[in-house]
Amino acid sequence: MTATAETAVAAPPAGHAKGGPSLAGWLVRGVLLLPLVYFFLSVIPGSADLTERGTEWVVFALVGISLNIIIGYTGQLSLGHQGFVGVGAFAAAYSLTVHQVPFALSIILAIVVGGLFAMLIGFAALRITGLYLSLITLVFGITLEQSLFQQPDLTNGGAGQPAYKPDALIEPSRYYFFCLAILVVIVFIDWRLTSTKAGRALFALRENERVAAAFGINVTAYKLLAFVMSGAIAGLAGALFAFKSEQVTGEDYDFFLALTFVLMVVVGGLNSRFGVLVGAFLFSRIGLDYAIERFHWIHELLVEGFLFVPGFGEERIQFAPRLIGAFLLLLTLLQFPGGIAQQLRPFTRWFAGGPFSFKHDVDGGPGTVEGSSVRA
Amino acid sequence: MLLAAEFNADVLTPLVSGAIQGSLYGLLGLGLVLLYKGNRIFNFAQGEFGTVAALLTYAFVVGSGGLPELPYLVAVLIGLVGGTLMALLTERVVARPLFHQPKVTTVVATAGVALLAISIELLFIGANPLTARPAIEGNLISSGSLQVTYQQVLIVLALAVLALASALFFKKTQTGLAILAVSQEPTATSLVGISVNRVSALTWGMAGFLGAAAGILLAPTTLFAPGFMTGAALIPAFTAAVFGGITSLPGAFLGGVVIGIVEQFGNKWVPTTFIPGGNRILVFLTLLIILVVKPSGLLGKEA
Repeated sequence: MTATAETAVAAPPAGHAKGGPSLAGWLVRGVLLLPLVYFFLSVIPGSADLTERGTEWVVFALVGISLNIIIGYTGQLSLGHQGFVGVGAFAAAYSLTVHQVPFALSIILAIVVGGLFAMLIGFAALRITGLYLSLITLVFGITLEQSLFQQPDLTNGGAGQPAYKPDALIEPSRYYFFCLAILVVIVFIDWRLTSTKAGRALFALRENERVAAAFGINVTAYKLLAFVMSGAIAGLAGALFAFKSEQVTGEDYDFFLALTFVLMVVVGGLNSRFGVLVGAFLFSRIGLDYAIERFHWIHELLVEGFLFVPGFGEERIQFAPRLIGAFLLLLTLLQFPGGIAQQLRPFTRWFAGGPFSFKHDVDGGPGTVEGSSVRA
Repeated sequence: MLLAAEFNADVLTPLVSGAIQGSLYGLLGLGLVLLYKGNRIFNFAQGEFGTVAALLTYAFVVGSGGLPELPYLVAVLIGLVGGTLMALLTERVVARPLFHQPKVTTVVATAGVALLAISIELLFIGANPLTARPAIEGNLISSGSLQVTYQQVLIVLALAVLALASALFFKKTQTGLAILAVSQEPTATSLVGISVNRVSALTWGMAGFLGAAAGILLAPTTLFAPGFMTGAALIPAFTAAVFGGITSLPGAFLGGVVIGIVEQFGNKWVPTTFIPGGNRILVFLTLLIILVVKPSGLLGKEA
């Protein structure tokens, strides 16, 4: 179990300097990581509240990885990712509850359906790029939310489609470990994607489509691959989310959720698996929300900060995380284009076996964040 | 006689109410077109310029939170100034520093501005909808299913005047030409002595004014709550602007009306028992078709 958590934490591939650390060096790194491992494998499953929030983090992290494939690897902006997640959630819930398919098959169906819907957008992306494509994804997501996700058969007549976990996973902490294991697998797949031919082809496409085509890269195939992979992972995340809340309603998948997804990926750090995991942590309910609820002094500070507002009630504090999130997004874009990942890079690089240095270009390699890499 | 009544309900009503609703999309779309002409970006904060303006107007009309109660026209003026100032602030703090970044970065940043504005609005007034007073009360037409209020007439008039004025501005004035020049070749433009920063501020200010006008006009006719412009009008407005040609001001007008009518017919013709949200589906298909068949839109051309 220790090993799995380490993969998740030290995800950016190590572009090893000569030699690398000695055995003792690795040992020190491992010991220093223990508190983190303890937190994810013992503290979170130990409390019912944290388990619930932790599971949401895992789902957000999956969505983040999926979104990063589109924004980070292909350089296009998707503002409709909540649509793919919702499609997955409904596919899983509907097939399991109405058609009584087994649990595993319902998850596979969610993955397939998510991939198929993303393929549709992928076909559009072959012709339309940049701002226009982001507009299409935006309208696509909202259309799904207000049409398909309101369809009476799917939503159980508007009451929400139930999605019950199988008995083996009914214990919330077990379900958390189940989701965490899936996250580890997906992180591994994503890592293999970026460090093999497909990843290099995608990066080449992002930089310049024509040059890439001249080098023999199949533009159509790789673009579609990126969208289908992204949609499939989003569908998987949707299925896991459906079984977490055991109820799927269309209203959960609104435009605000899509913005939250973009927010967490950009603030966490585009093109960085580690950054995406951190961003997901911050913006799921285990991050900012929890900090405000759990730590009374933050709560007090916020309430006092807003007392100048006429008629301010304490219940409006629930909107504070949105404010902080939007502020963080602007701060990231304007001042720290690499996001949190870039700020933590000296540490993550050291943990991955590289040298400790505050310079940005010590290891190079495809994992390096170079500004905000979204391209028009 | 019966036939006429059915015709009214099935064709005339959606046509008229669609055209009116679409005028609003067009009004919001004007600001989007303006910023695309000037900066080559999509501005996701455009709706919130309107919400902020509408909320300011509302606050001064009602006199909420210890503010003085002002005449309607004065309150509207304050709202317009507020929306314009917000746009200028956005330009100075967000758009200008990102000028040389990829355009999509600026677009994400404008979405961030919208999100920031919505959360501040929520902190100030909560999530409950308000009731805004229309500029003129009463109905012009009120027969059967067809209802046209004076406020809606005002919206159509405002759109026509503003669209014409801004189109003339780009056609006839040197400043309009300067805005186009900056969008096409900023470096060369500054070399011939045009201040890129000043032009950029002007573009955003005008867009803010247009957004503010749209927000103040829309508030009395719909569910008025924080973020209502982004939620209800921004996406159709984008579709309208792209449909009419993102570079064409009359195109935004035309596109708005078309999208408004398409929405109404979508609601009318797609049975909700089969699938709800027919308006959204038809709008999405319209957008997809126009982008695949004629990406420059109905009236769009370069510049």
